[in-house]
Amino acid sequence: MISHYLILSIILFCLGILGVVSRRNVFIVFMAIELMLNAANLGFVALARLHVNMDGHVLALMVMAVAAAEAALALAVIILLHKHKGNLDTNIFSLLKG
Amino acid sequence: MISTYLFFGFALLAILGALGLILFKHPMNGAMSFVITLISLAGLYALLSAKLIFAIQLIVYAGAIMSLILFIIMFLNIQDKDLPLDPNRWFYLAGAIVVVAPIAGLLLKITRSLPAVEATVLEDGFGSVKVVGQLLFRDWLLPFEIVSILLLVALVGAVVLAGKREE
Repeated sequence: MISHYLILSIILFCLGILGVVSRRNVFIVFMAIELMLNAANLGFVALARLHVNMDGHVLALMVMAVAAAEAALALAVIILLHKHKGNLDTNIFSLLKG
Repeated sequence: MISTYLFFGFALLAILGALGLILFKHPMNGAMSFVITLISLAGLYALLSAKLIFAIQLIVYAGAIMSLILFIIMFLNIQDKDLPLDPNRWFYLAGAIVVVAPIAGLLLKITRSLPAVEATVLEDGFGSVKVVGQLLFRDWLLPFEIVSILLLVALVGAVVLAGKREE
């Protein structure tokens, strides 16, 4: 059943939100965001199968490209932050506060 | 029939991997269990007869992006004493569950209104490289080119940020 795939997608998205909210390690927060992108991808592909229309596949490809760009930039920022502060706590991002 | 068993197996693995990601203390353990989630999602794409997405999920996500993340985690050489303390972790987790549960309930109710279609594997090239590629280069040409510009900008930005020299 297609709706089972959508239910799984909702569960994975909610787990991603829980990871972002409850953890303070930068890597875990970053991978939880990736988990939410993957859950959205699963929703796209499941709905593409439901309507037998391949636009959802193209959108999933776009999401993957955005995730790759995001991974490159986020890891560069994490390296920079670790070099300056020697820490992986998300609270040190508050140094960007105005 | 076998596809139902495969779906439940992959779904269980995906949820267990995601739980491991948000519960393991060390990011290395979290990343390895996230790889399990990504690979089982690739299996689910294959069950939905999205052949191109299946291959790209394995090659780009589980291959390239996760090996980049694992490489950076190993490169920073994170010890247990470097990890941030999470004294309020379970408190935040409980609060987030309270906030997220009604939204999840609403979305689950929406999925019940969808037509009941069995996810049988489709023939005649649905989701194959040729058909999706033709769609990508015919109807989605402009977004495809914009994505290439996005990747170029991200590449330049990553080099500028990470390659900065200390004065």
